[in-house]
Amino acid sequence: MKSFAYASARSVDSAQQMVGDNGQYLAGGNDLLGLLKEYLVDPKILVNIKSIPGMDKIEPSGKVWNIGALVTVAQIESDPGIKKTFPGLAQAAADVGSQQIRNVASVGGNLAQHSRCWYFRHRDVLCLKKEGDMCYARHGENKFHSLFTGNNCISPVVSNLAIAFAALDAVAVVQREGQPVRMTMAELYAKAFDNPTAHNSLNPGDLILKVEVPVTRTHSAYLQTSEKHEFDWALVSCAAAAKVADGKLSQARVALGSISPVPHQVKGANDFLEGKTLDDATASQAADLILKNAKPHGHNDYKIPMAHAMIRRTLLKLNG
Amino acid sequence: MADTPAPELHWPKDPKYISQSTRRIDAVAKLTGKARYSSDIQAEGWLYGMILRSKWAAARITSINCEKALKVPGIKAAVTVKDGERRIHYYGEELAAVAGTSKTACLDALRAIEVKADELPFAVREEDAMKPDAPKVWDDTDSNVSKPKVTERGEVDKAFSECSAVVEGFFVTPVQIHHPMETHGNTVSWTDEGVTAYASTQGISSVRDGLAGALKVPNSQVRVLTDYMGGGFGAKFGQGVEGTLAARLSKEAKAPVRLMLTRFDQALAVGNRPSSFQKIKLGATADGKLHAFQLESYGTAGIGAGASSAGGGGGADFPAPYLYKIANDNVRVTQTTVAVNAGSARAFRAPGNPTASFAMESILDELAVKMGVDPLELRIKNDPNKERQQEYKVGAERFGWKEKYKKPGSSPGVIKTGIGLASATWGGGGSKNTRGEVQISPDGSVEVRMGVQDLGTGTRTVLAVIAAEVFGLKPEQITVKIGDTHYPPGPGSGGSTTCASISPAIFDTCTNALQQLQTQTGIADARGENWLGACKKLGVNPLTVQGKWQEGLSSRGAGGVQFAEVAVDTETGLVTVKKMTCVHDCGLIINKLTLESQIYGGVIMGMGYALYEQRVMDRQSGVVLNPNFETYKLTGLSDMPEFDIVLLNMPERGVIGIGEPATIPTASAIANAVANAIGVRVSSLPITPDKVLQALGKVPTAKPESVS
Repeated sequence: MKSFAYASARSVDSAQQMVGDNGQYLAGGNDLLGLLKEYLVDPKILVNIKSIPGMDKIEPSGKVWNIGALVTVAQIESDPGIKKTFPGLAQAAADVGSQQIRNVASVGGNLAQHSRCWYFRHRDVLCLKKEGDMCYARHGENKFHSLFTGNNCISPVVSNLAIAFAALDAVAVVQREGQPVRMTMAELYAKAFDNPTAHNSLNPGDLILKVEVPVTRTHSAYLQTSEKHEFDWALVSCAAAAKVADGKLSQARVALGSISPVPHQVKGANDFLEGKTLDDATASQAADLILKNAKPHGHNDYKIPMAHAMIRRTLLKLNG
Repeated sequence: MADTPAPELHWPKDPKYISQSTRRIDAVAKLTGKARYSSDIQAEGWLYGMILRSKWAAARITSINCEKALKVPGIKAAVTVKDGERRIHYYGEELAAVAGTSKTACLDALRAIEVKADELPFAVREEDAMKPDAPKVWDDTDSNVSKPKVTERGEVDKAFSECSAVVEGFFVTPVQIHHPMETHGNTVSWTDEGVTAYASTQGISSVRDGLAGALKVPNSQVRVLTDYMGGGFGAKFGQGVEGTLAARLSKEAKAPVRLMLTRFDQALAVGNRPSSFQKIKLGATADGKLHAFQLESYGTAGIGAGASSAGGGGGADFPAPYLYKIANDNVRVTQTTVAVNAGSARAFRAPGNPTASFAMESILDELAVKMGVDPLELRIKNDPNKERQQEYKVGAERFGWKEKYKKPGSSPGVIKTGIGLASATWGGGGSKNTRGEVQISPDGSVEVRMGVQDLGTGTRTVLAVIAAEVFGLKPEQITVKIGDTHYPPGPGSGGSTTCASISPAIFDTCTNALQQLQTQTGIADARGENWLGACKKLGVNPLTVQGKWQEGLSSRGAGGVQFAEVAVDTETGLVTVKKMTCVHDCGLIINKLTLESQIYGGVIMGMGYALYEQRVMDRQSGVVLNPNFETYKLTGLSDMPEFDIVLLNMPERGVIGIGEPATIPTASAIANAVANAIGVRVSSLPITPDKVLQALGKVPTAKPESVS
């Protein structure tokens, strides 16, 4: 780990000024510490943003909830209002890491975290994501990797919260060059779909301020399957949300994690669910649409039937 | 001084502490942090030590230059493992080491060391290394594969033709890494007076001998101390390259050097359990008696396997046939090992046994299915061991085997339940070289000393329990001093021999001391309430008495049977272990509580072998891809089943160890339960969701595994 400067910011402006082009923001630090220790990032300065007032609030309202970027994952998991209004989001938070990690992990950090690909994280492997010339996973050990991608890197997005937010049609508000910019979850990750070296669409110096979650969808659910029962990354995660009235869905959204560099969403499937009553067959048809054109790589083929089951189960949870 | 034959000793008939549950006497010290583990040692003026490792899986090193490293502020010494040209055989092999005043200084210094190397081709996976044109792991060989070890007895082909049922299978077990909670390492001080090493070891004597040999220092000038250490599982008997490097750095820097490995290092170079690929065939006659057995296997022990390792280096072979009796010994076994460019294997909790058990117990269940008999009955019919015969009955009753057993795959619904069982056998036995010492002071205090170390199994408490029993005191009244090569020699903690070594030795020691105390003070029975009075009569000097291991107080041969109940989600492939019923025997139980802990630990480790653990090598880069607990997965709290542990106390057999048999059958029992639940077998460990879905035929596009 190389030496770096450290500063605490009192405002968003001062944070952005200090971080410059070669700095990193520090909130929970879970991801950052690992990156530093493996020499994967080399910041000149760490800017502590926990000292910025007002970014750690959950603000309910009748139309849109504001969740500050410094709200911890543990707060999301245990907030009674969120559990009631956005149960899918609370569950996604509950499935993040361990209790110790959730206690310090922030919403912003969970969204902005980097790839967990074991080639990318390995100190002695120079992969495409690190500007090397090949994706080792593509021809190597890819059981944890993507079924969908728009580039040669098959590292998937692993943020649980991004998946739940995507289903809820939430919007991240990002401070960019002194101005707030609103980005859907699709937009927040779009760059990673095309560019192997990107983990998300954030530019150096961009700072996630908060996430706006509309209350339009009355029902939401989240499920993940991992190799272990807790404290393990999802092999496949799935979130679904919809307005449910008289058993009929409207504005349904399904998003999957760990199978694409972006939260995997298929508009055709969302459209298909409009006005439908959920049963096994409908959920299964939606799953077919969502997983159409999945491209496995030899060790991750199992993710297709697993994701299919997860989609069906998550959707059916909306009934309950 | 010639040893005089001791009067024959017997364990007390109605013990007060032996066979009961005594809390660890060091529990408070451990829980409060007062206990200093090897990695906590802060010797006066100590420096951090760190190792530079090869980033190549195979290379010829032409030069290593540490000059720039020595210029890093805070760096006090730098040494190479070997000067001049050298061949590197695996990713992570040690190249050089530095000592400095901070971790960051050391990290910077490692990056400043200049290594010139020519990369060479490598093979890190068994199937790649076995190809005739594969790069050779060792230069002086023409194949990575060892000459097969062939055993043939009886009339195998004829026997198979006499069978009414024959089953065949192919089973795979992964390379498992020991990963003790405390990593390998030492603090070493090497001065003109000699060498002192605070070692995280399961063998203080073997570390002393190893250091003396490597450093060419007289044995008597090396002292090894291990007050508390955090596990070893067979991988911590020697000082290791890291111990020798710490000593050399200490001499160079003229300061003690603490060199503890990182978790990353731990995955590369300090041992593992060899893999196995087993083609197995088993037949039985119509009466359900096993009649013929055939096995062809290979596996890797890393660089310590294959053609150049004949007779040494932790081979990849294992006992076969495992545990069950084959009629007329109709057995044909062909085992080879294959060298790969990866860290060498070391003894790992019951070496060979869980590996052998997995294939044997799996094929046995396949045979039961084919013959339409209850797997429990098949075992009862073919297991020659009388303790286990008792365990099958006790365990089946406790577990509710008869009520729970149903045809494989017949569990209804998406989440299917199933049960399975498997058995264990282990030798153990005690080391007759073990000696102990006890000092009884006039104020009644007692100090027991032995040059043994507590691997985490409760060794201290075992010594206290026995001393307390002999003296009629309470275990907490006994001060136990261990972990110092200046004490009378104790055993290495391995092979499930510790308890059977130290118990007789300390019993003899204390019995001698009690007799001497009684003789010297004229008090006929100095125990219990007479203790203080007797000790007062000692006058000024304490009484110090030695003793040694005695025949007849311990024996060999522990066994056990474990029953597993699982639930398998047939849509996601996730396996949940619901319950483990574990019935074990290990002769005379010394301390029930720490014995149960051993079984918990064994089962938890076995669950890791069954469901989670696997070293993953990348054939393209040659690295270990999962050198961390994120992707090298260990059983966690939320994965734990309900435990039911049943111990058969057999005082007439004397003391026998339990550490190893406790872990042997767990993975096999779980694998059998999974097969019983879903009606198809996952024949390779660990049983991860992808493999379950594949076995269920739910992965339509699945290509054959790269393992051919």
